[in-house]
Amino acid sequence: MATVLRSLTYRGIPVWRHVKVIQWAIQIVSGIAVVALVVWFFSNIGNAIQERDIPYGFGFLDREYQTPIGQHFLPYESSDTFLYAFVVAFTNTLIVSVVGVVLATGLGILIGVARMSSNWIVSKVSLAYIEFFRNVPLLVQLFFWFYIVLALPPVREGYVVADRLYVNNSGLTIPGVSASSLAAALAWLGLATIAVVAAVVTYRWLAGREIRTGAASYPLLVGCATAVVIGLIGWVAVGAVSGGAPFTPSIPEPEGAFGRISGGFTVAGGLVALLAGLVMYTAAFIAEIVRAGIQSVGRGQSEAARALGLSGMGVLRHVTFPQALRVIVPPLISQYLNLTKNSSLAGAIGYSDLTNIAKTMTQTAPAVSIFLLIMVIYLALSLTYSLIGNLYNRAIRF
Amino acid sequence: MSVAWRKVGFVVAALVALGLAGCGSGLSEEDVEERAEARAQEIASQMVEEQKMASGDGMMMAESGDRLRLVRERGKVICASRNDVPGYGYLDPSSGSNVGFDIDLCHALAAAVLGDPNAIEIRLITAAERGPTIQSGEVDMLVRTVTWTTSRDSQWGNYAQTMFYDGQGFMVRKDLGLSSALDLKGASVCVTQGTTTELNLQDFSNQNSLDIEALTFEDTDAVLAAYEGGQCDAFTNDRSQLAALGTALENRSDHVILPETISEEPLGPVVPHGDDQWFDIVKTVMGILIYSEAYSVTSDSVPTVKTGSTKVDRLFGLEGAFGQESLGLSQTVAQDVIRAVGNYGEIYDRNLGSGGINLPRENGRNALWANAPCTDCPKGGQIYAAPLR
Amino acid sequence: MAAKFETDFGQVLPPPRSQQGVTGWVRANLLSTWYNGVLTVMSAAVLGAALWVGVRWLIFDSDWTVIGTLGGQLVIGQYNIESACPGQNCFWRPQVSLLLVTALLGMAWRVAGGGLTKRIAIGVAVAVSAFALLPYSMERMGMDVRLLLLANLLVLGVGWAIGRYTPLGTARWATVSAVGVFVVIVLLLRGVPGIPGLEPVSVIYWGGLMLNLLLAVAGITLSLPIGVALALGRRSRLPVVKVLCITFIEIFRGVPLITLLLMSQVLVPLAFPEDFPQNSLFRAAVVITLFSSAYMAENIRGGLQALDPGQAEAARALGLPGWQTMFLISLPQAIRNVIPAIVGQFISLFKDTSLVYIIGVLDVVEFGRAFIQGNTEYLASAKELYIFLALVFWVFTYGMSYVSRRIEQHLGVGER
Repeated sequence: MATVLRSLTYRGIPVWRHVKVIQWAIQIVSGIAVVALVVWFFSNIGNAIQERDIPYGFGFLDREYQTPIGQHFLPYESSDTFLYAFVVAFTNTLIVSVVGVVLATGLGILIGVARMSSNWIVSKVSLAYIEFFRNVPLLVQLFFWFYIVLALPPVREGYVVADRLYVNNSGLTIPGVSASSLAAALAWLGLATIAVVAAVVTYRWLAGREIRTGAASYPLLVGCATAVVIGLIGWVAVGAVSGGAPFTPSIPEPEGAFGRISGGFTVAGGLVALLAGLVMYTAAFIAEIVRAGIQSVGRGQSEAARALGLSGMGVLRHVTFPQALRVIVPPLISQYLNLTKNSSLAGAIGYSDLTNIAKTMTQTAPAVSIFLLIMVIYLALSLTYSLIGNLYNRAIRF
Repeated sequence: MSVAWRKVGFVVAALVALGLAGCGSGLSEEDVEERAEARAQEIASQMVEEQKMASGDGMMMAESGDRLRLVRERGKVICASRNDVPGYGYLDPSSGSNVGFDIDLCHALAAAVLGDPNAIEIRLITAAERGPTIQSGEVDMLVRTVTWTTSRDSQWGNYAQTMFYDGQGFMVRKDLGLSSALDLKGASVCVTQGTTTELNLQDFSNQNSLDIEALTFEDTDAVLAAYEGGQCDAFTNDRSQLAALGTALENRSDHVILPETISEEPLGPVVPHGDDQWFDIVKTVMGILIYSEAYSVTSDSVPTVKTGSTKVDRLFGLEGAFGQESLGLSQTVAQDVIRAVGNYGEIYDRNLGSGGINLPRENGRNALWANAPCTDCPKGGQIYAAPLR
Repeated sequence: MAAKFETDFGQVLPPPRSQQGVTGWVRANLLSTWYNGVLTVMSAAVLGAALWVGVRWLIFDSDWTVIGTLGGQLVIGQYNIESACPGQNCFWRPQVSLLLVTALLGMAWRVAGGGLTKRIAIGVAVAVSAFALLPYSMERMGMDVRLLLLANLLVLGVGWAIGRYTPLGTARWATVSAVGVFVVIVLLLRGVPGIPGLEPVSVIYWGGLMLNLLLAVAGITLSLPIGVALALGRRSRLPVVKVLCITFIEIFRGVPLITLLLMSQVLVPLAFPEDFPQNSLFRAAVVITLFSSAYMAENIRGGLQALDPGQAEAARALGLPGWQTMFLISLPQAIRNVIPAIVGQFISLFKDTSLVYIIGVLDVVEFGRAFIQGNTEYLASAKELYIFLALVFWVFTYGMSYVSRRIEQHLGVGER
């Protein structure tokens, strides 16, 4: 017996008392327990769905959606499929998310810095801004902006600038481009991407050569020329193949008995209100994060920088802010996720985001499947933000 | 195991796994079959020993008669409804209770099967939950302005009786000078999310190639604000709702309801599939409400002794019967019901008529068929139920 | 020559006029540089315009009758309606719960020894009892209701006395009593079968601000410890634990709360046997707490990440075991670093409690919303209602951020 026990050792310590062994045993047990729990949970749900005849499945994705979508950045007809409607809805949410994140970051940093300004009124106004926008429920703020947009004149009495720019409570319309066909547009956009990449490569190469040799080789000029030339060739080529320019200018003008603006590029009133609300709200949180980040940098740092003769702005730009980023980035990503997810309130003010459209879809398709799908889509979007953020976070860590 | 279920399994797995398990969450086919078999045996044995139900929550009924027994054991009727539609289901300003046309139907059912109109529980559900809620059988009745359609009848539950005929219409500003909904070409129309309204609007737009642009809002207050602010040229809803919302407009006389009705919306209670007795009980209770009005019996004039009129006496259990016993209801069930909530006309007046959203009823579709001037008149109302005898 | 350098120390010159008094303050704080001047003027203009529009609307255009009509229903929702409380009057149960909270505050005041706690305790008691003076008719708001509200002042004193004269007046016992009070409140509101006067009230009738506060308190107290555990798990060297924690955090953080709540309502019940007792409110509370914990974990991870590794190394060098290093050295400093983020999360959680409308209970926002939707005569008062609700939320959340700033000052965040 004793020999058996003695043989059960790991690096001289009995197996059951070795830290590594215990840790792994606990991990494996807990891992299996969690997996088992999850499997039990979802298989129960699966059984229940079958027993209770609850509709499920994803066959509906190929069916025609047959329901209107208010605003859409991608072309959409009611004869399109559910799957394509999902893509349209996702694009609507993605645009809000990306534009919102960019604007909220800018405004948030501005307010956060202003909060620590030596100008009394600026600092107090920023404080008031933060305390107001952070503490009032977002839905209420969205309604506020909704009513502000509604205070603009309706479309038939709206402002018109030079017959090109239309401002009214249905939205803001500017001249835009319209694609002649989806294939041609995609082909040219692909070529344009290649052109931009080629331009960047050329620029880098020439700039590097200039630094190495000292010979003037006009990297910026040549780079731009590369992009323009490839773009033009692509334009002509695509035009020749598809029998017309891939994009034609589209001038907005009132149409029909109701004077609705057709043509051009329209930012709908609901989108304006949604973006204003999301950006103002999220900026308040970002401002607090920025402030906490800047305060986390030791006082000595900025004092030393001032002693070296840097201006107030210079201290912030070159000394404090780069160090503060380390504390700022993780919670900042959380705010980006929040902004994206909060955009699901858009339905309240009439913007057709992913959640809004999905809720309508539950009228004609199984609710369980639709909610699973939008969960997965939001999750994918969030994980992408997290991934980018974590990569950036790793790059700036100590 | 169907392909669709495999897809659910896949998505679920993708969701939960994320580097965890990676494998599918489903069971093998044999497993499912085994489980189904075990389940069937379990149910059978339960039935043999006259299953006892401790708590009714989430219980699934399959056999005729089970639902009534369950409701009586539980001591209350559970109805799925809503609380934010004028007239049908809303919050009473003074007490905060749920009131309305739909809620009264629930009261009537409770009065019939339990003798106590207040023994109800209103479960508030969203539009998306209507199907799953009634399918799972966790509620006894769904009364939530549900339009009777064949696919819902087949998938969700059984439609007991049409208690209100509605239809979708449009409201526009008078100064636009429109006389027909067909003039809405190129218009922007505000619509509330979550009902068949959006679908009907699209159908109407497609059929008449009107190219209507729809602005979808979650709530009516936003729809109304957007319409009044001119963000859309018209708004669409069921006509009963248009009438109710008209009162909220700043200046009602500046707006008109266009004559077209673009959809059929018969509304009424739905019961879960599978329990015929319960289905019949609900139909009978609705019939009691309708025939009491036809016989001009109100909550104040419920007869307790023979009146001499055979039809009235039969309805109120004073002479003969109309099948109460086989439905498990008391002989005088109609007395309980009418005393508690009044007849159809009283319920209508209280909630949809002069006491509520002021929807006219005379000569409309929601007048009683029995009140038509002659038996074969084409102009009678459509409210009608199986004769109680 | 030497006399030239002599200074008359007896005569201290006052600073120049331009740096004194109002002018000096304005120059130093508002107009120190030209761009500061521009900023000042612009901020003042924006403030002025907002005030002008706001005050005009408030005086001429607003109509607040909807708030008066809703009244106490905003506080307790449908808790006291006929079908929730058949044949009895249940209003006293939320009110006694409130009294218990006030007593607890009184105790906390004594235990914390005045200061901020004292001001909060007195402020809450006075504000609550002031509601007794609302100009409602006696039919709408009976004498019993008013007296129970006024009793808060008395009970505050009782709580203080308990802290002063009984052995319960220590921080440890105060914490225990806080937990005890929460449990008692939940029992009181839920009811106990068989006790007359304490008949159970189904959770579907819980509502109003009471529900928001209950969910927030439960969520806040539980999400911090769970968040700490998750943050530590995420930084753990054990791969399985780490992966589990990351998965949990990213899933709960990556999906809108409203979707999670919907799933908890539609899918989760299917996972349990049909006769398993279900409680939709409990499920919602769990989901809100877990959602918040995932965010909390990330905040705390940020704080740990910003910590100088030297701290932990020094602690280990002093011979502290790992867990003591974590709980006595690293965590306190990490949490201190991210107090604003944590409080921001508490604020979010409190506001998120209004999403429980998804499970069909009427919190304060949903009660108001449903009310105006269903009663069209009030539909035009949507603005007033939402502004009022914003104000209600603002009072609580501003309170939270005020306390957080005081704690930050107390701990000297940003000073070192």
